[in-house]
Amino acid sequence: MTAASWLALVVAAACALGGARMLGTARTEAVRRFLEPRGVRAGVAALLFFVILALAAPLVSAYGPAAQLDIVGLQSAPPSWRHLLGTDLLSRDVWARITFGARVSLGIGALATAVSVGLGALVGGVAGYFRGPADAVLMRLVDVGLAVPRIFLVLAVLALGHPLTVAPLALLIGCTGWFAVSRIVRSEVLSLRERVFVEGARALGVRPWRILARHVLPGTGAVVIVAAALGVANAMLLEAGLSFLGVGVQPPVPSWGNMIADARDQLATAPWASLFPGLAITAVVVALHAVADGLRGALDPRGTPSS
Amino acid sequence: MAAWLLRRVGAALVTVLAVVTLVFFAIHLAPGTPFLPSGDRPLDPAVEAGLRARFGLDRPLGAQYVSYLGALARGDLGESFSQQRPVGEALAQALPNTLALAGSALAIDFVLGTLLGVLMAARAGRRSDRWLGAVTLVVYALPTFWLGLLLLLAFGQWLHWLPVGGVTDPVLYGALGFGGRMADRLRHLLLPALSLGLVGAAGTARFQRAAMLDALGQGFVRTARAGGLSERRVLGHALRSALLPSITLLGLALPFLLTGSVVVETVFAWPGMGKLAADAIASRDYPVVLAATLVAAMLVVSGSLLADLLYAAADPRIRRETA
Amino acid sequence: MDTLARRPRTALAFAVLGAALLVGSCAPKGTCRGEYCGTLVFAAIGQPVSLLPPATDQALDRDIFDQIFLRLADIGPDLNTVGDSGFVPRLADRWTWLDSLTLAFHIDSRARWQDGVPVTARDVAFSFAAFTDSALDSDYRDELKRIASVVATDSSTAVFRFRARYPEMFYDAVYYLRVVPEHVLRLEPFARWRTAPFGRSPIGDGPYRLVNWTPGQSLELVADSAFYLGRPHIERLIWRFDADLSVAVTQVVAGEADAIEVLGSPANVARARAASHLTIYPYPGSVYTMVGFNLREPGGAPHPILGDPVVRRALVLATDRERMAQSVFGGMAKVPPGPIPEEWASLWTGVVAVPPYDTVEADRLLASRFWLPGQGGVRQRGGRRLELSLLVPATSPPRRQYAQLIQQELRAIGVQVRIDLVDPPTLDQRLRSGRYDAAIESWGNDPAPSSGIPGAWRTGGDSNFGRYSNRWFDRAVDAAQNARSPAEAAEAWRTALDTLAQDAPAIVLCAPDNVAAIDARVSGVRLRPDEYWANVWTWRIPPDRLIERDRLGH
Repeated sequence: MTAASWLALVVAAACALGGARMLGTARTEAVRRFLEPRGVRAGVAALLFFVILALAAPLVSAYGPAAQLDIVGLQSAPPSWRHLLGTDLLSRDVWARITFGARVSLGIGALATAVSVGLGALVGGVAGYFRGPADAVLMRLVDVGLAVPRIFLVLAVLALGHPLTVAPLALLIGCTGWFAVSRIVRSEVLSLRERVFVEGARALGVRPWRILARHVLPGTGAVVIVAAALGVANAMLLEAGLSFLGVGVQPPVPSWGNMIADARDQLATAPWASLFPGLAITAVVVALHAVADGLRGALDPRGTPSS
Repeated sequence: MAAWLLRRVGAALVTVLAVVTLVFFAIHLAPGTPFLPSGDRPLDPAVEAGLRARFGLDRPLGAQYVSYLGALARGDLGESFSQQRPVGEALAQALPNTLALAGSALAIDFVLGTLLGVLMAARAGRRSDRWLGAVTLVVYALPTFWLGLLLLLAFGQWLHWLPVGGVTDPVLYGALGFGGRMADRLRHLLLPALSLGLVGAAGTARFQRAAMLDALGQGFVRTARAGGLSERRVLGHALRSALLPSITLLGLALPFLLTGSVVVETVFAWPGMGKLAADAIASRDYPVVLAATLVAAMLVVSGSLLADLLYAAADPRIRRETA
Repeated sequence: MDTLARRPRTALAFAVLGAALLVGSCAPKGTCRGEYCGTLVFAAIGQPVSLLPPATDQALDRDIFDQIFLRLADIGPDLNTVGDSGFVPRLADRWTWLDSLTLAFHIDSRARWQDGVPVTARDVAFSFAAFTDSALDSDYRDELKRIASVVATDSSTAVFRFRARYPEMFYDAVYYLRVVPEHVLRLEPFARWRTAPFGRSPIGDGPYRLVNWTPGQSLELVADSAFYLGRPHIERLIWRFDADLSVAVTQVVAGEADAIEVLGSPANVARARAASHLTIYPYPGSVYTMVGFNLREPGGAPHPILGDPVVRRALVLATDRERMAQSVFGGMAKVPPGPIPEEWASLWTGVVAVPPYDTVEADRLLASRFWLPGQGGVRQRGGRRLELSLLVPATSPPRRQYAQLIQQELRAIGVQVRIDLVDPPTLDQRLRSGRYDAAIESWGNDPAPSSGIPGAWRTGGDSNFGRYSNRWFDRAVDAAQNARSPAEAAEAWRTALDTLAQDAPAIVLCAPDNVAAIDARVSGVRLRPDEYWANVWTWRIPPDRLIERDRLGH
């Protein structure tokens, strides 16, 4: 860690806290209400922090994530001023790998969730709005998808050949995660389509697809956002598990999951290399759950206290 | 009631059939010849043609599908590329271990989770509730394999209280009596079950807390309290009503446990279906992964069917509606 | 607020569970006392495939069938492979040279198979036929080429005829051939031996026999109390199969296993030293590790990247092998001048032109072959990127570490390496079928260079998976194998190694020291570098040092 990277780190932390603060004083009442519980504010701040870290990774860390600094002299060095979180068995800076790994893990989580939410909303919307045979077929498909535990689906594809690079892996994880979202969206759409404004649009002769896209689906925004927050958490945990098994993100690209796998043997002698990635995953998932809880609380008209 | 039951079971069967069909087509679309060593081992073309004819792979796809179904009914899932034995045999060995692990994890999940949830609801708003809430939030977010590694390090390596892996002690098991054998199995089962169960319990606890608070806010509770019923009995009544949604949670728990078992079994060298699938990945053993997927799907479907049945049995409203 | 009614009940439940665990943890009372007790647990990595000797070449399989099958004569502790003075009788109780090319063995009349049938010379002839059969393709086919025939002239005399005279005739005759029972196996065609059921339930003539094998978990051998060379003192041998080295070491350190043949890394050695119940045994290594290149495509055409010796030499120059060995093994390994283990001490000295660590020269060589810097820092030539896949077994932490080190070093000169982690049987499959670019291979070796070098590097050698071929090398190997004296042979081997260093069919990474750890209660321990557990049947656990699991008798 150089002086420059320390500075960048402090700035990143400040931005994260400041950002959460700012959102807390936003003009929109809904946003303010959402950020009212302390847990949600902390969660948003944590998420902002990790996202900033990921985006500013080269600034915040003094070394590259794959740089083997001194394979004889700097192996498994404990945390110090130079190396904030120590080095791993291959003398790579753990802090650098955490920040660049944030790019990979968060990126996969975000991309995969974008795909699964997109697919899920599309399928759920079509099934819920058009009903009939389309609904029956699509929901059968969803049943099949929900019946198979997600990791087996992914493993089945991966067993075909070589491990995937980051983007295809994210797409694969995304394509296996849309089933639950489609169920949720479908039930929302089922109730929304009976609303007066939809009837009105139909009476005006607006085409069904247009109604679905412009009037009905946006109404599902609330549940979709909550599902998305949880979806990112699940996608990240799945990617961590896959990388731990060796079929996720491939070396030398760091991901929090494969960092734990690499350092597994040194857990007793050099715990920092596997402890910190685990803590990072836990921190982000906790933050996402807290945010999802807060969203549910803020967007739920019945106002059931849940945390 | 019977009609509803029939419809539910029918839906489950259709789902299983759909998964089976999916797996069948996946086998046939995969590179390498199905039921035979894959392209990793060079196969003489004449030999391959002969084997295709022998296994009926040159028949129309429909006929192959029918015989595949027949084979499945007999338990024939093809041959493992790497172990050179029938996949069914490998699965039959692995499945009981996974069921034991998932079962105990489910027990820990449900019992511990319910207890904690009730405790948190009983002390809602107080310090202990907030602390427990934070703890369950963190535990729920832990990656199961990371928790497993930490538990293994603490109890296996440092304290030597519990074994480092495996199902039974390979040396002593044969010489133990029944009680000793059960104890040996329990000792080996404890850490993996905890790794899976604790995370699930944290989630169940949070859910149960919300359900309890919901139930406690209902009319009958106020009536009961006004009537002078002890707090303990009130909680008992509320719990009974709050337990109902938990049954659906049980149905959801099985996919989570099967997913988690893939990594937890790897950490603890637990020879179950998860480890089988994970090992198959390392040897690109496609038939084994597909067979494990199929069995996992069937377990999930039967699990949710069971949950639905329990729910219907427990909730008189559903029964009346469908009568 | 009132506490819940559940609390006392759950407390009771936990108390009962705890009591059950406690009671159950009390180990069973064994009854064995005296000289012939003992259970030795080996922590092994991976899984055995088959216990039928010609049908497998995995080291773990050999460790086990070593206890089940005998050779005609076994090599002594100093591993002298020249002549017959360094050998001790096993299946054969005496032998005579009928002439300079003919050797006759007399089978010990006390030798029996585990089903009671006596061992005869017909078994020896049958075993020779199996080991040299082309369909079965055992790993020792090459090494047995100089024996013209093995004939059973009567039920207790087996006669070996050689094609030529050379110093290691006796070694060739006895070392590779494990005698298998003809009366059991004669109905099974050789081509099917690799998947034969005998491999999972063998019938042998050695000091131990197989009683139990739980695939994926463990395997148990029990001593043959009527073994004619002396009843083994340790009654039971159990192998525990572990996923990888660190789990195995943990088990030994925790006392759940008694022995491990290779501790591997300095960290593991330190852990074993810290455990007071273990004794550490260092001995010369018999293993070398290398990155083997595949010089040909599966069809036979030269590999588009690795078929070029200049490129290969550049890859060797670009890797700092000394530093990597230091990083991975911390002083517990040396970089050999060629693919040779520490066991072959005589070949380490003398002139061999090993390529140094020189990235500038590597750069220059690659550029001279028109591999020019391209997109993303990866070299390319004519639209093809300089990309290689590197096969690594997932079960070996040192090799996984090497893989990442090599990936980084080669990246620095513009070579993109993709690491492919597979399990050992898959690695074996890919090597045999030639479907790989490069692989980190670890080879355990027999005492004589003549059983390692030709098989691995000679044109058409049975473990020459990279299909390296060089006439001059072949000639040097022939000269070494036909040399009249050990000194002459050593000189010829060095010439052969020199050729290998120039052709660079592999990056030779290291030859590690070997350190084993065995529970201190075992006495009489002697380890042979070529076959770690060869002497287990002579070890004993003194009666005053028996622990619980030792007392479980049969």
